[in-house]
Amino acid sequence: MTEIIKVTGLCKSFGGVHAANNIDFSLQEGEVRGIIGPNGSGKSTFFNLLTGIYTPDEGTIIYDGHNIAGWEPHRIASHGIARTFQLLRMFTEMSVLDNLMIGCHCQVNYGALSAPFAPLTIAREEKVLREEMMDILQTIGLADYAHVTASEMSIGQRRLLALGRAIAMKPRILMLDEPAAGLSPVNVDNLMAIVMKLKDKYGLTLIIVEHILKVVMETCDRISVLDHGEKIAEGSPDEVRDDHAVIEAYLGKEMADDEVRQLLAS
Amino acid sequence: MDVVLQAPRNGIARLAAIHPVLPWIVAFVVLLPLPYLTTNNYQIYLINHIGVMIILATGLNIVKGYCGQVTVGHVAVYAIGAYTAAVLSVYFAMPFWITLPSAMIVSMLFGVLVGFPSFRLEGAYLALATLGFAQAVEVFIRVTDYLGSASGLGGIKAPVLFGFSFDTYQTYYYLMLPFVLFAIYFAFALLKSSTGRAFMAVREDPVSAAATGVNVRRYKLLAFVISAAYAGMAGALLAHMRPGYIHPNNFTIIEMVVVLLMVVLGGIGNIWGAIIGAILVTIIADLTRDLYHYQLLAFGLVIVGTVLFMPKGIGGLIDRYFVSRSFVAARDKTAERVRTQLDGDGEG
Amino acid sequence: MKRLGTCAVLAALMTTVAATAASAETIRIGATMRMISENGQKYGQMMQDEFDAINAAGGINGAEVELILLNDECKSDKGVANANRFVYQDNVHLVIGSTCSSVSLPIVDVTAQAEVPQIIPHSTNHEITQKGSEWVFRVPISARYYKGVMAKYVGENIGTNIAYVYASDAAAQADTEGLRDEMRQQFGVEPAYWGQTQEKEIDFRSHLLKIKTLDVDAVFIGALQEPMARFLVQSYEVGIPADVKRLANSSASNAPVPKLAGDAIKGVFFSAAYSDSDDRQIAQDFNQLMKERYDVDKVDHDFSQAWDLIRIVEIALNNAELELTDESLAADRAAIRDAIANVSDYQGLASGPISFCAESTPECRDGNRTPVLIEYLSGGEDFEVGILDRVTMPVDFGLE
Repeated sequence: MTEIIKVTGLCKSFGGVHAANNIDFSLQEGEVRGIIGPNGSGKSTFFNLLTGIYTPDEGTIIYDGHNIAGWEPHRIASHGIARTFQLLRMFTEMSVLDNLMIGCHCQVNYGALSAPFAPLTIAREEKVLREEMMDILQTIGLADYAHVTASEMSIGQRRLLALGRAIAMKPRILMLDEPAAGLSPVNVDNLMAIVMKLKDKYGLTLIIVEHILKVVMETCDRISVLDHGEKIAEGSPDEVRDDHAVIEAYLGKEMADDEVRQLLAS
Repeated sequence: MDVVLQAPRNGIARLAAIHPVLPWIVAFVVLLPLPYLTTNNYQIYLINHIGVMIILATGLNIVKGYCGQVTVGHVAVYAIGAYTAAVLSVYFAMPFWITLPSAMIVSMLFGVLVGFPSFRLEGAYLALATLGFAQAVEVFIRVTDYLGSASGLGGIKAPVLFGFSFDTYQTYYYLMLPFVLFAIYFAFALLKSSTGRAFMAVREDPVSAAATGVNVRRYKLLAFVISAAYAGMAGALLAHMRPGYIHPNNFTIIEMVVVLLMVVLGGIGNIWGAIIGAILVTIIADLTRDLYHYQLLAFGLVIVGTVLFMPKGIGGLIDRYFVSRSFVAARDKTAERVRTQLDGDGEG
Repeated sequence: MKRLGTCAVLAALMTTVAATAASAETIRIGATMRMISENGQKYGQMMQDEFDAINAAGGINGAEVELILLNDECKSDKGVANANRFVYQDNVHLVIGSTCSSVSLPIVDVTAQAEVPQIIPHSTNHEITQKGSEWVFRVPISARYYKGVMAKYVGENIGTNIAYVYASDAAAQADTEGLRDEMRQQFGVEPAYWGQTQEKEIDFRSHLLKIKTLDVDAVFIGALQEPMARFLVQSYEVGIPADVKRLANSSASNAPVPKLAGDAIKGVFFSAAYSDSDDRQIAQDFNQLMKERYDVDKVDHDFSQAWDLIRIVEIALNNAELELTDESLAADRAAIRDAIANVSDYQGLASGPISFCAESTPECRDGNRTPVLIEYLSGGEDFEVGILDRVTMPVDFGLE
């Protein structure tokens, strides 16, 4: 396994609050990495730094031979780092298929203004893309809804759609921001099954931020724990589960260790 | 409903399947005899005006409807296009075939200027910034003697092609028709392509668009520049139409409101919507010419009413019809599959 | 969808057609004017009332006059649309319009192409009649006459030794240079003094003191309303004698100036086409009528010109031989054009006679060439004005 992304000394502060403080982080190709931490621990900031939505104050993010720290989000996205959002942020007024077609925006070969001048070529290219997207829809089980407006979909369907849109980008790294939020336990299992299916099918490296610890514990190879913008622990699910610092971060020093372990295990 | 809406849609789809440009050629042929179906020149004059308005409204629809950028500067860019063509024609005796592209190029440069504030401003703030630009342009024209100031600029020559002069409303119609159809076709082809999807993504959610690889600034600017090209073309066509005279009063905020009404009433983000809007508003405005005191009031009320009760306009209603059908179809299909699966399980 | 749109256009067009079937034995007149202001609506109403009165009295040689009155809001595109509707759809015999020069200018081309007579109620831009259309006639005074009237009067009645001071404002500067150029052209004299004040400057005494030492016949002041009032007051403060005439540009005609300047305004005059202080019986009667009918206190030349226009149209229509059938439309239009061209020495509210002639030259088409000079008799809140003189300009004045 080779290293796909390496983060060194990543810092970001908002008016004196260190949302990311000297984070080192590296990821192996094909790995499934979980990121956990209490509310306000800097998980979202870390995601936003990796995907360029925030510009780091300091530090490097080496990916694919480039230091992508400070790149604009669309450029990072076009280099194969896809993400979903906790609040989904779907293009609600567009059809399900079009949501995916936006995903493959970077795979489009023709120029921005060429469509009116070479309609036949573009129609052919679009057809190919459309079929690819239908294939993805098939995999996530939304093929029947291809021409339905995204706003008509249920929350569960939208979670799937968010996944589909990210997959449409043909990413190497897929970052999922609380993919299971708001889903019933059955749907959570379904979703994670589809995620793993997609991982195998498209050879993805996954980073998952999730509140439902069960999901992280069951699916991830390794877990990084953040607190107050710092990485306080990293290791396999079992290692993290027993880490004292992690337990402290979640529940404070006063709580009995046993209770916490039970809670984390449940 | 089915026959009225579905049949033409299927027909167009069948033509487009043969060649994407074919429906447009058919449209061209169908629209050729239009001046002969009218009973007088005034109606042809109105049709020509509708043509200018279609181009103008379609341009606004690209930046406002598709890309979601609230601009009030469109009418200023329209004025710049008209005055560029007028100046080149009046002072430099340039033919229409040079003034029109020049007007489009100059308009596009100003489109960049109007587009820049959109990097930082959104919604009402962007509207205010572009409103400032629109006012500045109007006032500038009003006080500049070279542009005719408050007396207007006249003597703009009629287009000539191989010695044939388009100096009547009837001949001008045939000059205009290809431009209008090309403008609609261009919008269609562009907005159905990845560029159009990128515009819509920027409108729906810029952050999300960026995260899916869309260069938000680039597409915002592109939308402004393309819509400016439309405004420039509309301006040049207006300037060269008989009697070849333009005046700053033709490019005020009221004109902007009327174009906005066309786009909003027809349906924001719906190409046919803006075209239907341009046709309806021009005709209704003409039929109610006697009620001038109440016209603007009525326009304002229609905008507010449309936004409140029919947010996607007339085009949206029609789209809605097709979309809800496909939703019902999809739901039935899934239900059907689940049922067969269950049946299969039962047998097995 | 596309065909649906086309159908909609056609349907709408057909409806329009059905609604406007022309009826014979009617003289159709289309009027497009700026009717957005209160006064605008009133002179529109006056036009309607007068034609109604003509119809009530038996019409024109038995034919009824139908007036179609449209507002163009002083917008050229609306005016052009109105004119096109008049000439092609309503098939009018005569177009009246418009108020704003920027609207009349393009309409002249429309009526010329459609060969329909057009008579202009208010626009003064000199180019309107210089386009060479044989179909256009103008009742108001052309700007080319206004331009020279002050110089002509001053040179002939006051003197040619004039000092000029003006504020740094585009309009004021243009007015000032205009008079200087006219004095050069008509009398071959240069300014006795030429001074410009800086922007925001409110003390003009340095200029005025210098002028005081020169023996001038008149001082011309070019400024906006407020500085104009200061100028006038200061010209007395520095002791420029009262027998040196004070001249002012057109802003002097605005009401705040006499109020601000007080009696310093006395003797300042400006030019117009009509004054409600005109003591001719016809003018007094007209003022009375407008007051009674439309509650107009200050009757300005927009009313008087519209009134004169109606009377001229009435005369011309009475003299024209009209068949008024669908087939005779073109002939009737030409007949009305010729009948208007034959109107000569019409004496109405205008200060001098109005005469047209057949050629398509400005000399024939600018029928009215007698501006009236209106002088302030006193200043303050209840300022009074009176007629200083009427000046008839040479017919070819202002033409190259």
